[in-house]
Amino acid sequence: MRTVKNAKLLRLHFSEGDRFNGRPLYEAVVDRCRELRIAGATVFRGLEGYGETAEMHKHRNDKPIVVTIVDTEDNLARLIPEMEAMMDTGMIATSDVEAIRIENPAA
Amino acid sequence: MLEKGAAKKVTIFVNEDTQHRFGPLTDAILTFLLHKGVSGATATRAMAGFGAHHVMHTTKIEVLTEHLPVRIEFIESAEKVDELMPALYDMVSDGVIEMQDTHVVKVANKERPAPPKAPHAELRGAARLMRIYMGESDKWEGEPLYDAIVKRLRLMDIAGATVYRGILGYGVKGHTHKGGGLFSRDLPIMISVVDNEERLRAAIDVIESMMQDGLIVLSDVDVIRLVRSRSPEEVSNANS
Repeated sequence: MRTVKNAKLLRLHFSEGDRFNGRPLYEAVVDRCRELRIAGATVFRGLEGYGETAEMHKHRNDKPIVVTIVDTEDNLARLIPEMEAMMDTGMIATSDVEAIRIENPAA
Repeated sequence: MLEKGAAKKVTIFVNEDTQHRFGPLTDAILTFLLHKGVSGATATRAMAGFGAHHVMHTTKIEVLTEHLPVRIEFIESAEKVDELMPALYDMVSDGVIEMQDTHVVKVANKERPAPPKAPHAELRGAARLMRIYMGESDKWEGEPLYDAIVKRLRLMDIAGATVYRGILGYGVKGHTHKGGGLFSRDLPIMISVVDNEERLRAAIDVIESMMQDGLIVLSDVDVIRLVRSRSPEEVSNANS
């Protein structure tokens, strides 16, 4: 069974070494998303890259991190200011997407 | 050179000892097909059979081993078969020629170059990006779901797919995907695929039938350039 709807995809780019209240920022971001009842969030670690400060992210524990979040425009509008407050440096990007949710209960 | 898609399969049944000019008919047919550039032909000797003469030929009884049936089979495009048929019709003085529509699924060739046509060269400009989210421990027919999906996409000639493993996340089911012990981890997996709308729609139908629970996200992208199309050698290496 599939459910199709228009949604937004949000990407947060920062580095693995970034911290928030003493813990990894990416963990804090995922927890905050959950508290705000955002549909889902996935954290990916890149191999290397560079960003705002033009420094290569390739040291251990300072790899680039991308968090992708898919939800409705309204929910992301609630989330974005929170993320801006938590992130020191980094980038936030959104794009329009068509989200297809697939549910086939196990036979 | 045989290509994927619709083709004709020709099967010729003859007797092992039927002669054509100065040699066996089977040899004459194979030589003819080779000479005409047919991409492949196989002659198989039967272990038993009978033909229009209604005499049983079998390897079990020595006196009946004469006139054993031989089956010659080849697959070619409809045009090529049309071109060859008059000569074959003429050559088969005793036997049967049969032809059927077939569908070539895969042509893998390690040594000989494939036609220079680049496999995905037509992908330019606007395209669609598809992201498929699932868990690492999701299975399909006993193998990891992400593996099964990538294999299926390859079979469908989808331009490309990349599998990413996340380090943390949660999804619609609400449970957290994270790396636990060596044998219990269920990290998030995302497959990204770029191709045109029509082909991705076809892929979604297939993925839907394989997936129990997951999310597919489509967005518009501009494909700026393709680095290069793969050389035939790389294609066959990837196939092996």
